[in-house]
Amino acid sequence: MLITKIKNKEEIIQKLNKKVLVLKCVGCREVHFPEEDIDNLIGELTKSNIEVTDVLVFDYLCNPDFSKAIIEKHKNQIENSQNLLVFSCGVGVQVISSILEEKIVLPGCDTFNIPGFQGLSSQNFNCDLCGECYLNYTGGICPITACSKSLLNGPCGGAKNGKCEVNKEMDCGWEKIYKKLNKFGIIETQNEYIKIRNFLRERVEKTK
Amino acid sequence: MNNLLDYTKFKLKEEQEILSILRNNQKILIFSCNKCYKEFTQDTETEFNKLQEILTRNNLSILGNIQLDFLCNLSINEKKVKSIDLSNADSIGVISCGIGIQNFANILIKDKPVYSLSDSIPNNANSFRGYHGISLSVQKCDGCAQCYLGITGGICPIVDCAKSLLNGPCGGAKNGKCEVKIEGKERECAWEKIYKRLSKTGRLNFNLNLPVQIRDYSKTGYETITKHKNLNQEKRSQGFYGGVYPYENKKNTENIPIKEFPEPEIVIIPLSQHTGKPSQPTVSAGEKVKTGQKIGESSGFISSPIHSSVSGKVIAIEEKFHPTLQKKIMSVVIENDKKNEIYEGAGQQKNIDLLSKEEILNIIKESGIVGLGGAMFPTHVKLQPPKPVDILIINGCECEPYLTCDYRIMIEKTEEILRGIEILIKVLGVKKTIVVIEDNKPEAINIFREKISKSKQNLEVIPVKTKYPQGAEKMLIKRTTGREVPAGGLPFDVGVIVQNVSTVFAIEQAVIEGMPLTKRVVTVSGENCTKPGNYEVKIGTPIKDIISYCFSIPHSLLTANCLLKMGGPMMGIIQTELDAPVIKGTTGLISTKRPVIEPDPNRKCIKCGRCVDVCPMELFPLYYVLYSQENKWEKIQEHNISSCIECGCCEYICSSKIPIVGIIKNAKLKTKNYADNKN
Repeated sequence: MLITKIKNKEEIIQKLNKKVLVLKCVGCREVHFPEEDIDNLIGELTKSNIEVTDVLVFDYLCNPDFSKAIIEKHKNQIENSQNLLVFSCGVGVQVISSILEEKIVLPGCDTFNIPGFQGLSSQNFNCDLCGECYLNYTGGICPITACSKSLLNGPCGGAKNGKCEVNKEMDCGWEKIYKKLNKFGIIETQNEYIKIRNFLRERVEKTK
Repeated sequence: MNNLLDYTKFKLKEEQEILSILRNNQKILIFSCNKCYKEFTQDTETEFNKLQEILTRNNLSILGNIQLDFLCNLSINEKKVKSIDLSNADSIGVISCGIGIQNFANILIKDKPVYSLSDSIPNNANSFRGYHGISLSVQKCDGCAQCYLGITGGICPIVDCAKSLLNGPCGGAKNGKCEVKIEGKERECAWEKIYKRLSKTGRLNFNLNLPVQIRDYSKTGYETITKHKNLNQEKRSQGFYGGVYPYENKKNTENIPIKEFPEPEIVIIPLSQHTGKPSQPTVSAGEKVKTGQKIGESSGFISSPIHSSVSGKVIAIEEKFHPTLQKKIMSVVIENDKKNEIYEGAGQQKNIDLLSKEEILNIIKESGIVGLGGAMFPTHVKLQPPKPVDILIINGCECEPYLTCDYRIMIEKTEEILRGIEILIKVLGVKKTIVVIEDNKPEAINIFREKISKSKQNLEVIPVKTKYPQGAEKMLIKRTTGREVPAGGLPFDVGVIVQNVSTVFAIEQAVIEGMPLTKRVVTVSGENCTKPGNYEVKIGTPIKDIISYCFSIPHSLLTANCLLKMGGPMMGIIQTELDAPVIKGTTGLISTKRPVIEPDPNRKCIKCGRCVDVCPMELFPLYYVLYSQENKWEKIQEHNISSCIECGCCEYICSSKIPIVGIIKNAKLKTKNYADNKN
């Protein structure tokens, strides 16, 4: 689900104490994992007078059951180190630090979210999980994700030659919507009132 | 086991909106998705059931409902949707998350309006926002691209603080509870938790005196996401659908030349080292045999003879443990006199120009040649396909991690392989021959290109991008020729024959040098291996001899700390009985660290969809697990279990660590029994 990128080197080193245990989570390696950068950084740590006690490689640290077993197995190494440097998504770091409350657990990566993501492969379309699907009004093109401003009631007017003014590589979502609706001859759906996006609702909704 | 949360991504829209769609579209066909990121059970209550209720209540009708999995996965659903006749439908309704609906609206359905009948469920767990990882636990991550967890003691201020504050609490909390209440529900103040956590680790002053944090919203911009999206898509769609990129670990052995393994004291030669009927012994206990002498006669068309790999005395013909069948099989046990006397009939060089096609086939059959890539299918049977073939593919991919035996043979025995290819061309009469090598073996590609340019045959070397399971026949054929082997079919159905490079080498040795198959190259490598390498091992050499020679730790310690696999780490079979011998299909003997978390068949599937993403045969491995637990063999058959090639990609990627391959192997037997009983 998540794509990670290694943090700035200085930012990591600044926070580390002498003895560091490194945990690498390779569960999403098939998606994307900055492994080369991480290995380079581990090499550089020793130069900055930081002792790396061990580098442990696991997958799916996001699963608390797995993380508990891993921590149990490597108790001694963890006790001998002052910091744990975890290269994983934000979930992995949170799970480890919630189990090891007394230890300093530091993240080595920044996490991006790619909304249109299932399993391993990123898709061509994004879903922001906004909670109120507008696709019926917009010809199946999502105004929340395809428009950089997430506008619901038509284009902002800033697009030039079909390209968005925020990013020139991005197509104008509303131009695409207009063309699509025209193709089906249902452009009049645009004359209907569009629901106002309910930001409260997305916070309240529960599954069951 | 922790409580699994439900991260379902969508639910049916409100009745009013659905009615306005259905009233205007009488002929609507519904596609609904079987949800993901929730505990995978035989859930009968789908969103479509709710739609059905609305339909009956309002006396409305639809054309029908088609229930599919992972509508977001375009490639897996494209073929299915295209095979459905949509001419009766005026419009299409989709129940899924936004990705599935957009796939239908923009790609799958071009000429009809597509309606969304569902809303996504935003952030549906205990906290307000954030995308979770791929386990169904409470921790979530917003993917903000600037991780603050190092400052806040591992508690996320973005997800856990109702206001996503970065520089300390707002001051509104009372008794540690947040002032923002949702439906009267109280939540803890994240900043109080952060303060307490930091106090525990003594980092309070350091962290709180850091400069003010300002969130940079531009970091998650369109460019970064598009870049990563494209990288990911390129990697995933390389050559064929699915597949994985495991650590290769070939460095340890790839530069070590093939070396002869020391003579074993005794050899145990199983009489079943091939697909098909076991051979019948032609020697008896006490008899003297010589290297290359036939000791087992084939007993049917799909069968293959067995030869002695040493000279010496037969001490027993009894049941011995078989390394791949994992049970006791009739075997010939021979005491090695180490004189290495060659059997009279063997070792006579021949000129292939003087041999007819039938004579060559007979030599291959009598020499006991089988597929040495691991499948051990009798080669003489494969070389007499019931349908005409026009392309011969020589498989030099060796996509399994660790293994380098094929690579060494390609480098050291190039001339022999080319002569072997000549023999195959003569037998098959094919017009085109392709040698496929993965691009992680540039030296092999170069040496073949160089040698081929000098020969006049119609040969072509095709380097392919490295990806597991590239070496599987069907993937290879699809990638190099574009032909697709039908489900349940074999390569000759599309006019192709695939031979492994080691097999080609063995054919050359048999036909030209006159030596039957009595030894093969085995890669020994992995954890605790002190003498890794590519060894020419006599067939029948017990595994324990190899372990004593190549590993410095005691056998019991090795099996306790490591998993010893015959074959590669992906498809190899775990060995516990070290008396088992090396057989014709043994490509390697690899030890890997025992995982901290052992695979457990009882762990719950969370429907993350990763196994479907990696299955090169485009199957749904998660259903095999579910239906196996419930003994529904009929349903397993419906999901095409016979097409599974047991490559192990699904087990490799499984986020719940379920031993899927073991379950599938068992289910294959059970479904077969079920089908037999039914007939």
